[in-house]
Amino acid sequence: MKPAILTDTTKCTGCSECAIACQRVNRLERDIPRRWDFGDGLSAENWCSVVDAADNTFVRKQCRHCLDPACVDACPVGAMHKTAAGPVLCDTSKCIGCRYCMMACPFGIPRYEWSNVVPYVRKCVLCYDRIKAGGQPACTEACPAKATIFGDRDELLAEAHRRIRRNPGKYLDRVWGESEVGGTSVLYISGIDLSFLTYGEHFGKEPLPQTTTLAMESVPFAFLGMGAAMGGLYWIIERRNRLQAEKAAGEAKGQREPEK
Amino acid sequence: MDRVVRLKLVLWVMVGLAAAIATARFAFGLGATTHLSDATPWGLWVGFDVMGGVALAAGGFVVTATVYIFKMEEYHSIVRPAVLTAFLGYVAVVVGLLFDLGLPWNIWHLTIYWNPRSPLFEVGWCVMLYLTVLMLEFFPVPTEGISALASLRRFLLTLRIPLVILGVALSTLHQSSLGSLFLIMPYRLYPLWYSPLLPVLFFISAVALGLMMVILESHVTAYLYRRKPETGLLAPLGAATRWVLAVYVAARFGDLAARGQLHYLASGAWQAKLFWLELALMAILPLALMSATRFRRQAGWQGAAAAIGVAGVVLNRIDVGGLADIGRGGPLYAPKWTEIAVSLGIVAAATLAFLFMIEHFRVWESRPADPEADPRKLPEFDKVGFTWLGTPAVAGRVKYSLGFVFAAGAGFALLGSPLAARQGSVPAPVHRARGDAGYLRSGVSEAASLGQPGELPRGVLYIDGDLTRYGVTFYHQREIERNGREKSCVLCHHMNMPHDQDSGCYACHRDMYQKSDASRHDWHASPHGANLACVECHEPGYARTSAHVKPCADCHKNLVPAGATIEIPNYNAVSYVDAMHEVCNGCHVKVAAREKKPEIARCAECHKGRLNFSDTRHYLYSPHAPAGRLVILPPPKVSEVH
Ligand code: SF4
Ligand code: SF4
Ligand code: SF4
Repeated sequence: MKPAILTDTTKCTGCSECAIACQRVNRLERDIPRRWDFGDGLSAENWCSVVDAADNTFVRKQCRHCLDPACVDACPVGAMHKTAAGPVLCDTSKCIGCRYCMMACPFGIPRYEWSNVVPYVRKCVLCYDRIKAGGQPACTEACPAKATIFGDRDELLAEAHRRIRRNPGKYLDRVWGESEVGGTSVLYISGIDLSFLTYGEHFGKEPLPQTTTLAMESVPFAFLGMGAAMGGLYWIIERRNRLQAEKAAGEAKGQREPEK
Repeated sequence: MDRVVRLKLVLWVMVGLAAAIATARFAFGLGATTHLSDATPWGLWVGFDVMGGVALAAGGFVVTATVYIFKMEEYHSIVRPAVLTAFLGYVAVVVGLLFDLGLPWNIWHLTIYWNPRSPLFEVGWCVMLYLTVLMLEFFPVPTEGISALASLRRFLLTLRIPLVILGVALSTLHQSSLGSLFLIMPYRLYPLWYSPLLPVLFFISAVALGLMMVILESHVTAYLYRRKPETGLLAPLGAATRWVLAVYVAARFGDLAARGQLHYLASGAWQAKLFWLELALMAILPLALMSATRFRRQAGWQGAAAAIGVAGVVLNRIDVGGLADIGRGGPLYAPKWTEIAVSLGIVAAATLAFLFMIEHFRVWESRPADPEADPRKLPEFDKVGFTWLGTPAVAGRVKYSLGFVFAAGAGFALLGSPLAARQGSVPAPVHRARGDAGYLRSGVSEAASLGQPGELPRGVLYIDGDLTRYGVTFYHQREIERNGREKSCVLCHHMNMPHDQDSGCYACHRDMYQKSDASRHDWHASPHGANLACVECHEPGYARTSAHVKPCADCHKNLVPAGATIEIPNYNAVSYVDAMHEVCNGCHVKVAAREKKPEIARCAECHKGRLNFSDTRHYLYSPHAPAGRLVILPPPKVSEVH
């Protein structure tokens, strides 16, 4: 089973029970507005927020747990990792605090503990402990309107398409998270355009890690190639110089000989 | 003062300032000392210190390759300064990185935890290895006089060619990989900079920068130490730079054209202007200047062309490293002055180390004759201080130390209160609730809706402490009726200002999100306030803390009304938001339990379906403003609600 969450924004009443449950279960602290906030309600202490979007629609925001996550590809020490069970987690004992994961994430999800002297990267963990124990995340459990539900990704996708088919006027014909950047575990269906959850552009279908593949795979070749080219040039130039010097010496010798 | 002394004094001042901020950085964290944010996690320290620094150090591999591989022996005299610059440059990069990393003490994790797919992993490794190579390359210079190490030096000399080749290969990798870092963020970086060719572009510009840096450095040190500039020697380097820059410009435009992004150039967006500025500085101007033989051969123009080019490439790195993606989400980023001061301080320290090395070791063919260090010079009499200032060398040191100490002191003073900055919260003063509370003033018991059109009906308050218009309608009159008329006042009004019977919440809970001092300590102590001596409240003979102080009620007899249900544990009033939730939801939770109506305790009971306690200041910065209003969460004592 691929754990996933389907959020149906047409059902969300904006009650924010999911966010409250997330804070309680993950023992997060109450947060206040900070200078460094993104403005979407997420922070190192808020892993789930409810964005009051256009047209009286509420959209809950959380980590998308991408199937091929950019943050994992970026992390130089492998602290950010995708667990076999599905959730993308940060192993704080490895993290060096470079914040490359925050730069790489196309949804701008990971947040930093800027006020701490020993800061860590924090974000939704898809309630790893709970789903490993066979349960469901706190947020989906808490939702009184069943607007956000937990289940197997394939089943939820089928369910999402079923809802759209049954109610074409209510939904835009798109499941957000089905295929963008290689697909995500957190899916949305909605009556409004949800591009504002990203950097405002429609994502391609390629997983972002593929963008670095070519460059990274050329690394050994660039290294060896450059080394070989330099070595070869050195050999050629060295030899040419030596031959020239020998020739010059020979000529000098040849010139001197008759004088003898 | 001599040029060198003056420069060194300035450098020491910069180092002193940076030292103060460095202390604050490690004592209070990144939030207190930078303007970085969740939207802009990389800033000047990555763009300038790390990416710019690595690029600036490119002279090392370019020159070693020129001399040892292409065998252009005439440049032998600039190998040592170039290698030294590169070595110090990389040390500066590592120092800058230590400032920027959130957990710098974990940097060694790169050696044991591997993620070879990450460009940053590769950059880290290359920098480590190349730093070692540079150290080995430069090792023979400072140890020249130590005969015990002669055999080691001879051994390193036999390794020279392999070391040079290794250095060139490693540099190729990480100069280009710095560009690869940004391949993974196509949606973040502005299209004028984002390109699959980034690594190639980074490498080409690094080669050009390496050449220009060598030229610039030679001119600057020649000026400082009053040597003749090596213009003739450097001119062919300028000519070579020209070709590299031409390739770069062609690649840059060719890439934009191939990706069909040329229209962005004329878009008039500030990014387009930044692009033109950057390209003019890093390529077009130096290219033009170095193409004209007349300019190329003339010391002043040659140095200027190199200086412009160096500035341009550094700007390019800053752009890619963060500047060009600001405004793509979240609040705007402009570096805090502390970030700039630290960056300059690191450069200053590296420059000081460079000057030290050329003065004390044979980095040049001949060491500069340093007038300051000349032992034959006599101590100098300072007429102002009426004292002998030691030999000139010593006098210089006195100046440097003074400069350092004063700058460090100024740095600490300028930092203000890092503790406040560290919290990163904006003060949000609270205002009186709008509307007419109704009850006492009208004397009527019905909640009469007599208000003017557009106003709140009498007996109804609108509670949005920070006047953002995202608040809660509070039916004051209705609550009074429900909870027992006069008897109900003390349920909420648990403390009154002197001569008052129903002080509003805003009187003590004066900030939306932060604690405020309910006892108004400063007002009591101020000559313009109560003008009290300390001992009138604090017990004499004890530390003047809140532990040894008279209860407020000793003076203010009616401060707490009889029967008030809310306890006041200390002199701090909790934030307005907390206070409101505590007092309203405290009751609602009880009623919900008593009457078995859980919905009474839900957020939406008061925040009618729209939980938009938004902070306008925040979303004003956000390009998603209309869609991304902030929700502040959650009410206190969440567990009781469930
Ligand atoms: S949404 Fe961002 S943080 Fe979450 S898995 Fe995807 S890339 Fe990583
Ligand atoms: S901040 Fe930590 S988790 Fe994120 S990329 Fe850097 S090392 Fe990895
Ligand atoms: S899955 Fe868990 S951690 Fe993630 S938002 Fe829901 S409750 Fe919070």
